Amino acid sequence: MNPADTTAKPSSLTHAPSPIGRGKFCEVSLTLPSLLWLLFFFAVPAAMVFAIAFKTADSSGGIGSSWTLETIVEVFNFNYARIMWRTVWVSFAVTAICLLLAVPVGYWISRQDKKYKNWLLLLVVIPLWTNFLIRIFAWRLLLHPDGIIRTALVSIGIIPEDVFLLNNMTAVIIVSVYTHLSFAILPIYAASERFDFSLLEAARDLGAGRFRAFCLIYLPGIKRGIITAFLIVFIPALGSYAIPDLVGGIDCELLGNKIAFRAMANRNLPEAAAISVVLACMIAIPFIAFVFGGGRKRADGGARAETEAISRQ
Amino acid sequence: MKKIAAYLCAFAALVCLSACGPSKPTLRLYTWSDYLDLDLVKEFEQKFDCKVVIDCFDSNEMMYAKIKAGGSGYDIIQPTTYMVKIMAEQNMLQPMNLDNIPNAKYIDKSYIDRFAYDKTLKLSIPYMIGYACIAYNKKQLGQIPDTWGVYDTDKYGKRLTLLNDMRETIGAALKYKGYSLNTRSDKELAEAKEVLLRWKKNVSRLENEAYKGGIASGEFYLVQGYKGDLFQVLDENKDLDFMLPREGMSLSCDDWVIPVGAPNKELAEKFINFMLEPANNAKNMVFTMYTAPMEEAMKYLPDDLKNSNKIRLPKEIMEKSEMIEDLGDDNAKYIKIWDEIKAD
Repeated sequence: MNPADTTAKPSSLTHAPSPIGRGKFCEVSLTLPSLLWLLFFFAVPAAMVFAIAFKTADSSGGIGSSWTLETIVEVFNFNYARIMWRTVWVSFAVTAICLLLAVPVGYWISRQDKKYKNWLLLLVVIPLWTNFLIRIFAWRLLLHPDGIIRTALVSIGIIPEDVFLLNNMTAVIIVSVYTHLSFAILPIYAASERFDFSLLEAARDLGAGRFRAFCLIYLPGIKRGIITAFLIVFIPALGSYAIPDLVGGIDCELLGNKIAFRAMANRNLPEAAAISVVLACMIAIPFIAFVFGGGRKRADGGARAETEAISRQ
Repeated sequence: MKKIAAYLCAFAALVCLSACGPSKPTLRLYTWSDYLDLDLVKEFEQKFDCKVVIDCFDSNEMMYAKIKAGGSGYDIIQPTTYMVKIMAEQNMLQPMNLDNIPNAKYIDKSYIDRFAYDKTLKLSIPYMIGYACIAYNKKQLGQIPDTWGVYDTDKYGKRLTLLNDMRETIGAALKYKGYSLNTRSDKELAEAKEVLLRWKKNVSRLENEAYKGGIASGEFYLVQGYKGDLFQVLDENKDLDFMLPREGMSLSCDDWVIPVGAPNKELAEKFINFMLEPANNAKNMVFTMYTAPMEEAMKYLPDDLKNSNKIRLPKEIMEKSEMIEDLGDDNAKYIKIWDEIKAD
């Protein structure tokens, strides 16, 4: 799937004028399945979670019959704030590292000969053929205290004897970056593929250095790809549960783990729901900013404006 | 096309056969994995001409949710005592006819008086006692003292784990301080929190599952875990040994219960009676490495286990150990300090 497809104008607008009723009918019937899917498997469960967040809990693990605001207020206490902060900074770190790695890779692949491009893309996607959990367990073996990587690093003296690679935040970040990297490379590659590289040459002709041209022309030119990559990494990272649970240490509990703990061990569904609501809001904020912010502008518009700016200087 | 139709017919015939084939009664059990010696189950099937189906759960909460949802059709369940209490209070269990379970008389009186939920044994009969103790790598650590204080030293190189279980882990700290692990006192809990914050610096993970593989593979040198699990690993790796902290531990016991709506109540009672036969109970002890509260069964243990503290908890430690009780509303105190420990 090319993300660019979603930016194409709706087909009904480009067609020759057709009877309005029929076009509308087509449009509705085409969207209906996905709409129903979203309604039943997203909107309704999400609404239920929102509702449960305002219910009382009973001691046997059920949901009480009366309503309360206390649970949601409780979520803003100090302990949660620390875990929220931890979740946000880890997610930002993971997203930033993913983008730093994905932009050069996306650039490089899109500059390759057509013959190799598909093979390179295949290499990006191949890790996804193996189950996500199996790959995390594989990382546990790689980062094992007596494993090959740590033994090597300790024997060359890069890390001291008392530093471990597993069961800490570094492990969580490494494995999260690994897990999400493919998803960051693909949209950046797609945007880069549509980028008009003659603009870079134009910038060079007008006196911009390589680095300056890259930053001022290329990066704004693939802005849409970068934003998509950001969202596609940041949002799942905020909700991550399995990675901190399996490779994290005693200090690595994130919001996802807290929700699981409340739902399973404490059997307090309203509190689990209340944290989920807060998490959902945290996810909604960058997304809404994207939709109502610059996200809808045409992708290469920015780059052209920048070229003009350079040429004017 | 014809071929497919033929396959479909054959499949349909198979389904019919298996559905209406055996007229033998079927006994359905819901229990923990590897918790009954399957040879005994086979023996029961032959003796009583029936079929026994075993389903497994991995947490009391999961089992509770499934039974609560109704229509599960189980004849026997083996919940932990605290869950027996919750289920009994919600009228999910039915009284057993003890005339069909004469072997219940072998259950130790001292156990019943101190721990059993139903002292008359009508609603629940104890099966196996377990406890959370410590396994360690003696090749790496050498001899270690028999105390929870092992978590207080940093000389084991951060390769320790504690259980990721609020009551077990806070309970260990309370025991270390000499308090009851069912305390409701804020002062005692505050002290336990201080202890855990100290231990936390030496612990690499809170772990409920992977400690088995972790200690076997040398990732961890010392773990807190459930007895049966640890002794299975001990069998596989000769570098490992176990330690029973002298301050006492948490005990837990899984009970035989019959849920309301069990289709084969009488057969279920016969099954429980069969398993409670001292010789059979001893076989189950050897199989699970847990301890049945039945002195009579100890006679039938193999010689190397008869007096081993692998099966028998030393008396002084037993006296200091306690069963984790449901604390109702005071549970919130534990949740609060658990949250603080994790957030810190």
